[in-house]
Amino acid sequence: MILFAAVLTGAASCKKQLTEYNPAGVTADVVFNTPAGYEAGVSAAYSYNRWLWGKEAGYHLLEAGSDLWMSGVDDPNTELTQYTSGMNGSNAVIAAIWSRLYSAVNLCNALIPRAAKSGLPPATQAIREGELRMLRAWYYFTIVQTWGGVHFTLDETTGIISTANKTPEEKFYAQIIDDLRHAVAVLPNTTPDNGRATKPAAEAFLSKVFLIRGEYDSCYKYADKVINGYDFKLQTNYADIWNMSNQTGKEIIWAVNYTTNLTMNDFTGPAGAIVYPGGHPRGANNGHLMFLQKYDVRTGMERSIAYGRPFSRWMPSLYLLDLFDESIDSRYDATFQGLWIANKAGNSTYKRNLTTGVEATFTISFGDTAHFLSKHEMDSAWRNTRKYETFERRDMYNANGTPKNNANFLSLKKFLDPTRPSVAEQQSARDAFIFRLSDIMLTAAEAKHRLNDNGAAAELINKVRRRAALPGHVADMEIEASDVNIDFILDERARELAGEQWRWIDLKRTGKLEERVKAYNPQAKGNIAPYHKVRPIPQIQLDAVTNKEEFKQNEGYL
Amino acid sequence: MKSFLTVAQKPLPFKALLIMKFTLLLLIAGLHVSAGGFGQEKLRLNFRKAEIASVLQAIEKQSNFRFLYNNQLNSIRQKVSLDLKDASIRQALDQLFSGTLLTYQFMDNKLIVVKEDHLKPPARDITGKVTDDSGAPLSGVSVNVKGSNRGTATNEKGQFTISADDADVLSFSYVGYEPQEVTVGNKTTVNIALVSVAKSLENIVVIGYGQVRKRDLTGSVLSVKSDDIRKTPAVNALESLQGKLAGADIMRTSGSASSGVSITIRGNRSLRADNGPLIIVDGVQYNSIQDISANDIQSLEVLKDASSTAIYGSRGANGVVIVTTKRGSSGKPRINASSYYGISEVAGYPRMMNASEYMNWRREANRKIAIAGINPNGNWSSNANDNLLFNNIEQTNINNGVDVDYSDLFLRQGNQQEHHVGVSAGNDQTKGYLSLGYYGENGILKLDELKRYTARLGLDQQIGKFAKAGMQFQFTYYDIDQRTNPMDEASKISPFSLPRDSAGNVNLSPNNEAARWNPLIDEQPGIAENNTITQRTFAVAYVEVNPLKGLSLRSNLGMTFANATVGQFFDRNSLLQRGTNALGSYSSGKGRNINWENIITYNKQVNQHNLTLTGVTTFLQNNYEEATAQGNRQILPSQLYYGLTNALDGISIRTGYTKENLVSFAGRANYSFAGKYLASFSIRTDGSSKLGEGNKWSVFPAAALAWRISDEDFLKTSNSISDLKLRVSYGITGSDAITPYRTQSTLTRIPNAFGENPAPGFTFSDTIGNASLQWEKTRAFNAGVDIGLWNNRVTATVDFYRTRTTDLLIDRLLPPTSGVSRTFQNVGATLNTGLDIGVNVAVIRKTDVNFNVGATFYTNKEKITELLNGVDDVANEWFIGHPVRVSYDYRKIGIWQLADSTEAKANKQLPGDIRVFDRDGSKSITTNDREVVGQLVPKWNASLNLDFRYRQWDLNVFLFARYGQTIEYAYNQRTHMPGRENGAVQNYWTLENPSNDFPKPRTSSSFAALLYSSTLQYVDGSFLKIRTITLGYTLPKSFTSRFGVSGLRLYATGRNLFTFSKVDDYDVERGGSLINPMTKLVVWGVSINL
Repeated sequence: MILFAAVLTGAASCKKQLTEYNPAGVTADVVFNTPAGYEAGVSAAYSYNRWLWGKEAGYHLLEAGSDLWMSGVDDPNTELTQYTSGMNGSNAVIAAIWSRLYSAVNLCNALIPRAAKSGLPPATQAIREGELRMLRAWYYFTIVQTWGGVHFTLDETTGIISTANKTPEEKFYAQIIDDLRHAVAVLPNTTPDNGRATKPAAEAFLSKVFLIRGEYDSCYKYADKVINGYDFKLQTNYADIWNMSNQTGKEIIWAVNYTTNLTMNDFTGPAGAIVYPGGHPRGANNGHLMFLQKYDVRTGMERSIAYGRPFSRWMPSLYLLDLFDESIDSRYDATFQGLWIANKAGNSTYKRNLTTGVEATFTISFGDTAHFLSKHEMDSAWRNTRKYETFERRDMYNANGTPKNNANFLSLKKFLDPTRPSVAEQQSARDAFIFRLSDIMLTAAEAKHRLNDNGAAAELINKVRRRAALPGHVADMEIEASDVNIDFILDERARELAGEQWRWIDLKRTGKLEERVKAYNPQAKGNIAPYHKVRPIPQIQLDAVTNKEEFKQNEGYL
Repeated sequence: MKSFLTVAQKPLPFKALLIMKFTLLLLIAGLHVSAGGFGQEKLRLNFRKAEIASVLQAIEKQSNFRFLYNNQLNSIRQKVSLDLKDASIRQALDQLFSGTLLTYQFMDNKLIVVKEDHLKPPARDITGKVTDDSGAPLSGVSVNVKGSNRGTATNEKGQFTISADDADVLSFSYVGYEPQEVTVGNKTTVNIALVSVAKSLENIVVIGYGQVRKRDLTGSVLSVKSDDIRKTPAVNALESLQGKLAGADIMRTSGSASSGVSITIRGNRSLRADNGPLIIVDGVQYNSIQDISANDIQSLEVLKDASSTAIYGSRGANGVVIVTTKRGSSGKPRINASSYYGISEVAGYPRMMNASEYMNWRREANRKIAIAGINPNGNWSSNANDNLLFNNIEQTNINNGVDVDYSDLFLRQGNQQEHHVGVSAGNDQTKGYLSLGYYGENGILKLDELKRYTARLGLDQQIGKFAKAGMQFQFTYYDIDQRTNPMDEASKISPFSLPRDSAGNVNLSPNNEAARWNPLIDEQPGIAENNTITQRTFAVAYVEVNPLKGLSLRSNLGMTFANATVGQFFDRNSLLQRGTNALGSYSSGKGRNINWENIITYNKQVNQHNLTLTGVTTFLQNNYEEATAQGNRQILPSQLYYGLTNALDGISIRTGYTKENLVSFAGRANYSFAGKYLASFSIRTDGSSKLGEGNKWSVFPAAALAWRISDEDFLKTSNSISDLKLRVSYGITGSDAITPYRTQSTLTRIPNAFGENPAPGFTFSDTIGNASLQWEKTRAFNAGVDIGLWNNRVTATVDFYRTRTTDLLIDRLLPPTSGVSRTFQNVGATLNTGLDIGVNVAVIRKTDVNFNVGATFYTNKEKITELLNGVDDVANEWFIGHPVRVSYDYRKIGIWQLADSTEAKANKQLPGDIRVFDRDGSKSITTNDREVVGQLVPKWNASLNLDFRYRQWDLNVFLFARYGQTIEYAYNQRTHMPGRENGAVQNYWTLENPSNDFPKPRTSSSFAALLYSSTLQYVDGSFLKIRTITLGYTLPKSFTSRFGVSGLRLYATGRNLFTFSKVDDYDVERGGSLINPMTKLVVWGVSINL
């Protein structure tokens, strides 16, 4: 009887029992068709930028591997800095970014056609769609710059897709320009939401795209709109750009936003923590860690919030250091740190051999100069009288320019963040600037140079150089139209934008990547080859596609 | 039936009622009344030519029996003479009625009905002797002529006399022994040995929804009894069985106190879905077998072939482990207590470089070598350049001769102990079993601890004549402490760094290396705590009704309520947090599992035909809820994870919920003819909530045939072959072993902000849903033979199987260009073929000396036969023709030597780098040169079990071997090619030492790896180990019985003491990881039976 009843009730409730109940999960069709859900989708589309901007992978792909940087002692991915054999499809850094960028594109592809169903007010709808178009263009721009003509689609992935296509670069750029024109048309001039795309941001981006495409009139047109059409102004002092309180300064056109409240950043949480499994293992801006020398093991020194946590990933090439005339250009001292003051309590003593062969003992007290680095050669008699440690050009670099001491070097200090809560804190609230006014000015100058108007180019460059001049040296900094050539522009961009994640694209755009790395980066010069102008396609992608004959590795990579 | 009278002298108050009752009883045909327990009366009867009726009256005086008979019967007036002393009632009546037409029948209330039977055949006297299996006489055994009232009992010499004719069947029964029947035939003497219930339990095998005698088994089932399980002390009963079950690959997952045990039955079928078997405890699914003390287990069965598992349908594809726990028994309370204590230590841990080795390694990485472009920019040429490599602290330490072996600072002696007491008691109506247990383990690392407390209660209650009910209840409480693994950090840290300063305090970051953190720090009080409290309540309740003979209706309700809280606190200076923020987190999970089953069983015996029909309905629900909270920078670190509200930032919460349901209907028919020809057919249909709409249901049929050849006439008389049975089976089982919601594409949350305003984002999760998911199906063929030779002195079971699995449920990697990276999909097929052999030889079988040798051999060939589009899936490392889990990589053939520098350069490599095989002969190394370099599953397993007993001493040696599996040895990967971290001691290439083993370190290589460095990790993981050696001594019964103890055994066991493999200083059973290495253990124990 019990059994009979059981069978009956069982059969009747079967259908109900076999329907899945998932109260903790959310699906796209439910969430993205609500106003709040759609906003959350747009916000997520921005968050993918946090995988590259202000992150080690971003410096590796967009800054290192250029004429400006060589491996510091703790560079974990020397293959990306030096183009050694590890630069291949198995490279984990490249693979991670590949996946994230295509996830970002897929999210944009899913959200753009859903704007009309979002339930947002029509005006907001249009703006959000504009932002998404800008973001899709931005992610595709990074993809096509990094890998060339690879997979392209405008469709959301709704089922299992196991193939990929190879689309010509032209089609990428056509879509990028189309999306950006749309964005320019609908985006507002300003936003109260720091980090969101605006009309000038889209225009700045367009000017850069047109520069790459060789459409110099259009490039100049959009750059000029940004320079003159809005309230953007250069900071009076170059050094002030890097002050933590100037992150939303008038010079910043678009940035990846990081917050002082660390929970709003993208940190995945420590091992075993639950915060955001899809987040980044370090979170927020990590730029402050990357370029610092090992000051903390020198006499009289200990690690401090002010001097930062030295990850020692990259040291400057001699070429980069020598680009600056620090007697007239404030940017050298604003960019590099060569002096450390003892911050260890009490007295520290150390022994060193003087050039005379005599061993001398020195004592460094709290507040004394502890450690001094110079790109110049030092007089040995003078050095012998110093009680602090000194490293000169020949201590840090071999005669051929390769690193001699890759633990102690002049350190890029732009990204230091003294507002971090602890010495060990890896997350900095510093925004990662994407477009800065001086960058767009130099972009406009490059367009003018290409249009054979070196006079206009020189004037634009001088705007940037005058701001950089040390007091009393404005005139010394000014250049003539005859000084303008593409190498000068690249040099100026290095002085102005060193470390700001544009160098690799600049060299690629000007066709100077191989030439300049060979000329100025003695560590990488033996390895770089023409095919390095695109990165290897991740092996996980090549292994997973079912159309292996069509979707192959980029040329040159084994 | 009208003229019955009683002649009893005592008045019978309920005469009418009694007559009615008797009438009723007679109406129910074939009713047997148990005569058990009637043998105890001691009658003294001495009569000469007395009427039978008067003898009966005398018996009534001497005992509580009363007789019911018709006074007018002639027979009752017959005169007899007899002289009996200390006779049982049966003996008395048999003698009294022999040679008459009278028969008797025992009824309730000590009433004996006596009547005339005119059909009573002429009988002759049969004599015999009943002994136990050791040959000792058994007195008081009931001997009955089946189907009649005639019966007697054996005397103190075990002898009996009973009258019977040729066609009669004698039945023998005795408490604590299995009943037996013998056909009289032309014999005049019947000698018989009874088998004790305990011994005979070994012949009962539990199968899905029932049990059968081993002789009637049609499927491939392994059965282990409690003694075997208890032989190797371990927290998990499955671990005790490692190597003993042919076809089951059982491994401890690590040496940590709280590590689990993995079991794979007959290879991996599924590519990614769970390959673990279904575990059934007392009829109910219960995957937490580690909760159940080995002392509480009565028997454990492993169902291997499809015909045995198909009744479990969807859940049976990976085999089924059925655990039957101990239950109460009637009679005087029996108490069993056991205890052991053991000491463990690491079973091998390879050392890292010492100070001078590490200095040389680092110098070599930086060494300037202009030849062949090896390292022209190196900044070390001589010791004078050491200052460029080693900072001030390091140089000071080097000068002071500091040389620390960090791993040595951690590995210590651990210990294990278990204490358990079980009581079983009851009467015919109510039976109970109660046990309490404690298990404690301190791992070989400090702060790695486990405590388990268990309480178990089992009750069975007879309700009236037709029903019984009962329950099994277990409560388990775990208190587990785990630590952040320090061994990884210890293997990297420089040996010339000081773990402690001069005051004895732990140096946070020895040598002030930003990347290195002192792993000792977590051993300081209040720095790191990771505690898990798990409470699990497991309750099974059943009601069983037997309304008709052979019909049983049973309803089983099993429920598991699990509750786990994990509290974690990591100080800012802990190994995990490394100077950032303190982290506290508290999570609580609640699991509920409901398993409701209704089983109907009908058994009918008609002549030689025996048919058992079984029907089952099942409802299974798993439900899990969790909540986690965490925060950073607690105001008072001493609050650990309890004061999360006092965290200054990073306060966050998460909740989760999953639910899955399974609904099933199953039926089975078991048929046997004369016990020789056996057949079993079953069919089951399952509906799973986890699969796609329209694909939720599937049907799983199975059939099995067996032929017991040894029961055929031509073998019955054989002296050599005592047992021979052939079995074949074929069946389909299924699997839906994926996590719920795989048909849905869900979103994940990602934090974001605009300005300082939070703007949390939602994006697609990496796994995309697949709405068309369906059942994974396994078709399995099994052929087996069971052989017993020379009175079962040698027994063997051999099984061959071939298992084909299709529509594999795969967690598959997708091209990242689709924006998602994985999905679950039904893809491809695998084929497993294998052989399981178990042999047992009783070499010596004497009262004082016993020597038994058992061996198992198990080989499984696992291969993928189909994949999507018929091509290898490189991304997921699945290759047609190869096993499911393989290593796919380049094959290292040596190191590029100076002489080969041109060839090396063509491959962008340098002398000193790893040289790999150019498989396709293209003259350059491309990704096409990768190949399957090893399989991660063994080609075969074998074991040898030697059991030796001499009087009170017993010795057991158990050897276990695994052969043919590759392991990915982490030690070989623990090599920091740029020379910035310590690591393995290897014979590496230098100009002076052109080794072909290990590459040259170089600063220009990536931290993660030098090109092809993954090829260094593959090593042969085959091993032979002496798994256990046990020496035991059982105190003589004559001595212990003085203290009321019926058994007391003392023993010592050494577990995992010796391992032989190609890898030095490492127990390869761990599988390659250096984290939580395996342990060896010596245990002393005692077990007492009262």
